[in-house]
Amino acid sequence: MTESTATSTVEPILEVSGLVKHFPLTQGVLFKKQVGAVKAVDGVDFTLGAGETLGIVGESGCGKSTVARMLVNLERPTAGTIKYKGEDITKLSGRALKAVRRNIQMVFQDPYTSLNPRMTVGDIIGEPYDIHPEVAPKGDRRRRVQELLDVVGLNPEYVNRYPHQFSGGQRQRIGIARGLALRPEIIVADEPVSALDVSVQAQVINLLERLQGEFGLSYVFIAHDLSIVRHISDRVGVMYLGRIVEIGRDAEIYDHPTHPYTQALLSAVPVPDPEAREHRERIILFGDVPSPTNIPSGCRFRTRCWKAREKCEREVPSLAVPAEFRHGFGPAAHDSACHFAEEKQVVPPEEPLEEPPDDHAGGAV
Amino acid sequence: MLLEVRDLRVEFRTRDGIAKAVNGVEYAVDAGQTLAVLGESGSGKSVTAQAIMGILDMPPGRITGGEILFKGRDLLKLKEDERRKVRGAEMAMIFQDALSALNPVLTVGDQLGEMFVVHRGMSKKDARAKAVELMDRVRIPAAKERVRDYPHQFSGGMRQRIMIAMALALEPSLIIADEPTTALDVTVQAQVMDLLAELRRELDMGLILITHDLGVVADVADRIAVMYAGRIVESAPVHDIYKAPAHPYTRGLLDSIPRLDQKGQELYAIKGLPPNLTKIPPGCAFHPRCPMARDVCRTDVPPLYEVTPSDGTRVSACHFWRECLDDRVDRHVNG
Amino acid sequence: MPEPLPEEPHVSGGQRAPEGGAIAATGQDGTMDLATTEGETLEKGLGNADAGGPADKARSLWSDAWRDLRRNPVFIISALVILFLVVISLWPSLIASGNPLKCDLSKAQEGSQPGHPFGFDGQGCDVYTRTVYGARISISVGVCATLGVAILGSVLGGLAGFFGGISDSFLSRITDVFFAIPVVLGGLVLLSVVTSNSVWPVIGFMVLLGWPQISRIARGSVITAKQNDYVQAARALGASNSRMLLRHITPNAVAPVIVVATIALGTYIALEATLSYLGVGLKPPSVSWGIDISAASPYIRNAPHALLWPSGALAITVLAFIMLGDAVRDALDPKLR
Repeated sequence: MTESTATSTVEPILEVSGLVKHFPLTQGVLFKKQVGAVKAVDGVDFTLGAGETLGIVGESGCGKSTVARMLVNLERPTAGTIKYKGEDITKLSGRALKAVRRNIQMVFQDPYTSLNPRMTVGDIIGEPYDIHPEVAPKGDRRRRVQELLDVVGLNPEYVNRYPHQFSGGQRQRIGIARGLALRPEIIVADEPVSALDVSVQAQVINLLERLQGEFGLSYVFIAHDLSIVRHISDRVGVMYLGRIVEIGRDAEIYDHPTHPYTQALLSAVPVPDPEAREHRERIILFGDVPSPTNIPSGCRFRTRCWKAREKCEREVPSLAVPAEFRHGFGPAAHDSACHFAEEKQVVPPEEPLEEPPDDHAGGAV
Repeated sequence: MLLEVRDLRVEFRTRDGIAKAVNGVEYAVDAGQTLAVLGESGSGKSVTAQAIMGILDMPPGRITGGEILFKGRDLLKLKEDERRKVRGAEMAMIFQDALSALNPVLTVGDQLGEMFVVHRGMSKKDARAKAVELMDRVRIPAAKERVRDYPHQFSGGMRQRIMIAMALALEPSLIIADEPTTALDVTVQAQVMDLLAELRRELDMGLILITHDLGVVADVADRIAVMYAGRIVESAPVHDIYKAPAHPYTRGLLDSIPRLDQKGQELYAIKGLPPNLTKIPPGCAFHPRCPMARDVCRTDVPPLYEVTPSDGTRVSACHFWRECLDDRVDRHVNG
Repeated sequence: MPEPLPEEPHVSGGQRAPEGGAIAATGQDGTMDLATTEGETLEKGLGNADAGGPADKARSLWSDAWRDLRRNPVFIISALVILFLVVISLWPSLIASGNPLKCDLSKAQEGSQPGHPFGFDGQGCDVYTRTVYGARISISVGVCATLGVAILGSVLGGLAGFFGGISDSFLSRITDVFFAIPVVLGGLVLLSVVTSNSVWPVIGFMVLLGWPQISRIARGSVITAKQNDYVQAARALGASNSRMLLRHITPNAVAPVIVVATIALGTYIALEATLSYLGVGLKPPSVSWGIDISAASPYIRNAPHALLWPSGALAITVLAFIMLGDAVRDALDPKLR
């Protein structure tokens, strides 16, 4: 199985290749001169299968949000292609772009700024129909808005209320309803729960999972919280400084990570179990993420890597199944951009606790 | 006891009426101990900390009752100038957002040194040397050179270290850290938490760690106090809570976080929303969201019941803590 | 091919149940839950048929704002005052029978007497009649200059803020240039070449020098509003620039413009007086509050009433507009309802 794991096994609905976004740094008052570039995204490839959830994790500044914004065409890539059902959408404009936008929608991070405070909930959820009038005849819109409210678990009577009358979790539901209005096939969710309280996060995650089944959605789920990403994703990509360093099915990444950055990231996640801290090895990285204006040569992680050798400075590691695992069929055989990839179990295997582990989850009838 | 909060009550005047932010909070910290105060937004965890520090905005805030005993003295009875001497010198606070807590137009050396100039009357030169020493202590590399840098020249993690250095400057016996790692990335979070834990041991300070993150707490705390609607609902040694919570809210929180080592089917979710502080439900404030609520919960405010067995003192504000502890309740009864 | 929603009849119905407490909109338990937990923020609308209105009628920010204004006493009072001022500036003879230009020097600086309730000014003109007749010029200068400044300034500033780039830098430099021109000196130079004795050159001058102030404010608040995710969300839906500007940015950026513009209204009325006093504004046969205020100020000790009445009228006008602006601004903010 030498096939790259950046590719989904299901039929791809979205194919991203060589995606690059550089923001120019300029100086000057009236006539601006470029003095450098923030390399926010610097060569990203992945595919998203129909009905699949791809999680993208990384620390702040790794470029994951910029990827999200390019997927929904809020930002034009500097280079690379994003193919939706085989068609490159990065060069589209006008009517063709509008048509594609119907099918790729976004859920934003901050439910407090993503809803216009001066529009009623009905207007917010109904706006997609104003912009794409062909989707719903005028007389039908109101009913659809109320249906959408119902679908996301809000009272349909709330159409005339304003966003500030709702709590954070409820607002995020309104944002989700707006994203669903045009019946898109793909939803790009950029940190959709990180602004919410713990007890409300679970409600929204469950809602997203239920909607995926009901509407046959594909998700690109972007987050910094590795536990949430694991919970919702089928496949996971780990980003560092503008690139994906490791990508694979969730068990491959979480239980058999081969890239040192993924290992460090996983080992740093606090686990809500004080017993676990005794038999957990924590890899503490030194230093900070380098500036995206000045990316290290070779492997971009080498400045913080405990395994870095000379080769790492010279050669950029490519994102592919590392040679040592290439002939195996095990879970370690997935894409990892490291010259010295080796498997390391960071998250301890699940142990039988005193109570059966499926006790909570199984409770739901 | 280093610090003991007894029956603290704080109200805020708002447009919608009186918001009861803190309703009889009780907790205590000893020297060398870490108490984690856990709660969601609006639970009153930060307001309690501000009341202890004496930095509560009054008005609109008002302390309506209770005692804050620090080394045996009730801070609420002190005059403002006496209080000011306690603040900074004997207790210090670390904030979530280090960038806005530091003055952008002063070098970090000046800001650190200022503490010594103002409180200890040191000369500028000595204060600068002290600043370098502090930066070394919080493990900022090349402290000697970086002491002349401005806050924006440091990364988020380094800025948080500077905040910690500033809090440590006068060697206080109590540090209150309000969500100190929330704004940081996971890999940096671990560094900062480790640093805090190490310094606490080294200097034998008491540490109050205010957070909403159950994961962070598990790694560093000795005791946990869980807050809901301005009250402590459960307080226990850290191992007890994670093994078997004695309050349905704590249990719900624990169940609702996805886990790194498990890929569950559906997450357990606490239904409903945290209460509005101007209209806290009668009886147990948690009853509208509680899967095991009964009639008595709607009428009687639960006292803090002592929970046994436990490694130490353990309390729960639930009439049915015994059942909760045994997890005999089917939480999905109405699912 | 996404199928339209209605073909999935009630996806919610029974399938919602497994979600358990998470959503809880089903059955009695659900409604209970919503009522108790959300009542907090929604209490104002709930069970208040008058405020809520029929749920099946769609409402918008503007209709809500209008409903809100109609019940706001501040708005009603200020609107009535302004209406009254407009009526007397159009038809001053409705409430003043005299002639503002008929003066009798022998009565100079005399106080109130029958038929002349406000007394006489330094030239022996009837203060009441002049105050009533002065409204026309003062109000037309104030309102027209404010409208002109607000429209020109917010359109230019708003577009510059929205599109950014070269046009923005260019506009910013132009506003800098205008800020550098001292108002009075500029007036002396520019208006001295104008010979007509109508209000329009004066208004034109004020708009010319006043728009940069509003343009800066509009630019700033448009940039702030533009950065909000809801504008990005509209863009991601495929909204056009005009839609983003009109539906999303303008309602959220208009408040500071309203505040500054209504305060500026008073300064324009006063500026007209200054210019007239300097001899470059309107010439004496014209009657305005500004002209009278500056004419009366030397006699403030002997005949304070000659100063008091036109100034009082000016103050009430400015106050009425500021109150109106405040009421409109508040009505456009749903959080304050």
